[in-house]
Amino acid sequence: MKKIWFIVFCFCLFSCQEEVNLPLATIDGIVPVIEATWTDIPFYNEVKITLAENYFDSSDQTVVSNALVRILIEGTTINIPFYFNDDTQSYKPFRETSTAVVGESYELQVFWEGNVYTSKGVMLAPPIVDSLTYAYQEERLFRDEGYYIKVYGEIPFKENNYYRIKVIENDTLKNDRDDYLLFDDTFGLQFFEEGLELNYPFEAGDKVRMELFRMNKSSYDYFSQLVGLLFNDGGLFSPPPQNPDTNIIVEEGEGKVLGYFMVSPVLTETVFIRKENN
Amino acid sequence: MQLFRSLSNVLFVWVLFGVTGTLFAQSDEFFTGVVLDASNSDPLIGANVYWEDNLNSGVVTDLDGKFKLKKRVLPSRLVVSYLGFEKSIRNITVNEAEKEIRFFLKPSELSLEEIIIQERRPDEQVKNLETGKASIPIETIKNIPALFGEVDLLRSLQLLPGVQTAGEGTTGLFVRGGSADQNLVQVDGAPVFNPSHFFGFFSVFSPDALDQVDLYKGNMPASYGGRLSSLIDVSLKEGNNEQIHGEGGIGSISSRFMLDGPLFSDKSTFAISGRRTYADLFLKLSSNEDIKNNKLNFHDLSAKFSFRLGEKDKITLSSYEGSDFLGLDEQFGLGWRNWVTSSKWSHTISENSFFDLESYHSRYNYKVEFDDPDAGFTWENKLSESGMKGQWSWINSDKIQTYWGFQSQLYHFSPIALDPAGGSAIQPIATNPKNGFLNSVFAGGLVELSPRLSTEFGLRWSLYHQVGKGVDYFYEGGAPTDEAEITDSVSFGRLKPMHFYQGLEPRVAFRFLVNDEFSIKAAYNRNYQYVQIASNSSAGLPVDRWILSGKYMDPLRSDQISLGVFRNFNQNKWELSVETYAKDIRNTIDLKNGASVLFTDQVETEILSGDGYAYGVEFLLRKNVGKTTGWLAYTYSRTWRTIEGISLGQRYNPRYDRPNDVTLVLNHEFSPSWSAGLTFVYTTGQAVSFPIGTYEVDNQVVPLYSDYRNEDRFPDYHRMDASITWKNPDKGRKWRGSWNFSVYNLYGRKNPFAYEFREVINDKINYDPDVDGPVVSRKQSVVMTYLFTFLPSITYNFQF
Repeated sequence: MKKIWFIVFCFCLFSCQEEVNLPLATIDGIVPVIEATWTDIPFYNEVKITLAENYFDSSDQTVVSNALVRILIEGTTINIPFYFNDDTQSYKPFRETSTAVVGESYELQVFWEGNVYTSKGVMLAPPIVDSLTYAYQEERLFRDEGYYIKVYGEIPFKENNYYRIKVIENDTLKNDRDDYLLFDDTFGLQFFEEGLELNYPFEAGDKVRMELFRMNKSSYDYFSQLVGLLFNDGGLFSPPPQNPDTNIIVEEGEGKVLGYFMVSPVLTETVFIRKENN
Repeated sequence: MQLFRSLSNVLFVWVLFGVTGTLFAQSDEFFTGVVLDASNSDPLIGANVYWEDNLNSGVVTDLDGKFKLKKRVLPSRLVVSYLGFEKSIRNITVNEAEKEIRFFLKPSELSLEEIIIQERRPDEQVKNLETGKASIPIETIKNIPALFGEVDLLRSLQLLPGVQTAGEGTTGLFVRGGSADQNLVQVDGAPVFNPSHFFGFFSVFSPDALDQVDLYKGNMPASYGGRLSSLIDVSLKEGNNEQIHGEGGIGSISSRFMLDGPLFSDKSTFAISGRRTYADLFLKLSSNEDIKNNKLNFHDLSAKFSFRLGEKDKITLSSYEGSDFLGLDEQFGLGWRNWVTSSKWSHTISENSFFDLESYHSRYNYKVEFDDPDAGFTWENKLSESGMKGQWSWINSDKIQTYWGFQSQLYHFSPIALDPAGGSAIQPIATNPKNGFLNSVFAGGLVELSPRLSTEFGLRWSLYHQVGKGVDYFYEGGAPTDEAEITDSVSFGRLKPMHFYQGLEPRVAFRFLVNDEFSIKAAYNRNYQYVQIASNSSAGLPVDRWILSGKYMDPLRSDQISLGVFRNFNQNKWELSVETYAKDIRNTIDLKNGASVLFTDQVETEILSGDGYAYGVEFLLRKNVGKTTGWLAYTYSRTWRTIEGISLGQRYNPRYDRPNDVTLVLNHEFSPSWSAGLTFVYTTGQAVSFPIGTYEVDNQVVPLYSDYRNEDRFPDYHRMDASITWKNPDKGRKWRGSWNFSVYNLYGRKNPFAYEFREVINDKINYDPDVDGPVVSRKQSVVMTYLFTFLPSITYNFQF
């Protein structure tokens, strides 16, 4: 891992950093942020609504608890109502057993302060995960030494190949900007059959849970752009920073909205890392 | 002045030969020698040669710089003198007097200044018809204080009015509101795709190899075309035809060397030069294995050969090759390389008519290699342009000059190829090639309508074909949007026409001479551009995606009008110019949010297109003569873009819109040994987007940006650089060495390179909870990165 720093070594040799005060503009109006996840596993199904705040505002995040939230199954008259759950500070389906079904299309509807926000998504079939393996690896270029997990499976789809893997290490989600693992079929999907190595070193004794999501393109693009923004340093080599393109639209009312509506199957696997005996 | 002095000397020699020719009979009583200019080995005509203790013994050198002097009791001291050169006094022994002695006179420091001036006529800026053209003599460029002491052509051009920089330390040029890919950088007529090293921090040109640089800020003659904003026309130095001459330098990060001289005979010459960095040599000295096994270097090589074939023909061959390489531990490598080759045949048809034929080939390639058992790959791409240009020129009368010609250019952009290494699980990628064939015919002339009014006019007609091999895609709904499905595709065979664009590019300029020191000029010109870079970062990267005009990509077009007043003062010692311009740009491109263009074969789905405009006024006060030279420039300029899909379709400023720009360049010679240079730069900060808020999504605190692009500004940029040069005029007859000590950013201004908007933990910008301990506080903050505060460097330069 030390070697990766050589790339920035020459640059950093003549660069310095310091914290500065910079006058920034403030938000004009109220901007809601909607995070909606709709899967085939009840645990993941929720809608969070918060408000964006001014950059230097140190107050706690404002959670919107008075919105009306529901999901419509397109082509039917069925709607799945949500309620605000004080424990999770998010909206959960009234019926906990309500989940997404492969092949169905859904429309998220959020009514708040006279505005109506909507978004659509299709529940795609999940890929196949056969097994997880792990092995100890010495330090390599761009990777520290440690135990590395490989995911073996099959992705038999010719289109809509947009995936995300989340890794939970000992009950803690790996959520640094370096931790995002998003992939599509730009470089093919054979690597999934031959074993996709998760890009994190683990230690013996770790309990690791992997969650695999298959998303619609619009939500995949949202996360790709989010990662790009998190890595945008505002320098000459970065594109002009922009908010990720939300797949939620303001159906009625004014202002803007941020966030995403993700419809996805979820595959989970857990593995315990045991020390290898040489 | 120099010309007048030379003519006077010739006349004097001629008269002297006429009177004393009979004295040059061969005899043992005489010995012979030749007097040459030490800087270029040219013969010095009319130099005085005499015995020190007998002033009346003197003779003068002939047209070849030779002399014949009657011997006397030896050893004796011989004096050789010539106006504008340092006197040479040598003790001549009996043995020396038996063979021809060569004397090399060094130009005196005063005349060095005047030699520089000879590169431009003193009244050139007033009398010529060119507007928006700027030149910096190579000698001046060498005297400008430089980053790391590396004399840099493109960074020097950034000091001219109307030329902006993308940011600290970079060599990218933004001329009169145009983007960096709208500049045509050519070496001896051949374009250079990527004229920078080290990701843009240095330009590819070694200063010793250069003869001349002209910058056309949009108002190009009709014989040039292909880019909207500027032409940077670089000429490599030709060798002298007398003797081997060398020069070079040993600097803080690189060394360079140049050698030139006659090749086989005095009818042909050569000049070769090279430069290489040695950062990687220092890395090898490290005891740290992580540093030791890495590589980081660049080099430049250039060569120019010229051949005179009789009195009417001359052929020159030029080549430049330069490359960069970054290697990590034998496992990862990134390299890129420019290689251009050109030839030129100059033929004098008659006393008043001339013909020039140029041909060239320019190639750029990059390669990325990653050696990994699971995900190893090789990723490479090649771009090339081959061309030929012929031009006939006539001096029709003392008031009319005309020319016409043709130019053919073939662009070939190879498929972007990503090949997995053996055992790698990733699949190969290969895009389709892109080819373009651009043919242009042009004609123009220069007419003196009256003693005061002159005009230069021209018309260029460019005819562009996108040709096979290639593939066109058809999209649902007809437009190549990100969401639209591909409904069909058509493949084209080699050189099969795919799409055609053409455009007339009129160019016209007028000069009204108010008096010998004051003129008014106006110009209009239109340019088309058929090739550009699909990128939305301000600094170029070696792997940038170049695209050609095609089915979904209209050619760029610009129309520029300019008006200027030009005034010289104090017998042309001072030049003042004020130029204004307005430019309209069509079909400029930008990338969509999150666009990915590096590996796709459907680049058109990632691109947005629109229009733009720019305007400005440029002031330049320049002094070219005397102990103190330099210039003061001020530019007020604005540039705007309007592209549907960006900034809600409203106009916005590109990052390089920097309204106020002040530059001061000074050079002063204190004595023959000591000189100093000073540069001061002030510009408005770059146009950027700062966040207006934050929000939480996906367990991340994310900065929130306005929908309007680049409404904020970096703080104003300013910087002062200084240098001192010391040279020892007495060190040897031919070897001339000098030491240059320079400081970049003299007063340590912290000019921002970037701002990061992120969370700061425990009030420490680099706090890592995993390493440094528990988190006590978190806050949203702004972290500024800045480069190069007070950066000294030292360089030893030499000539022989």
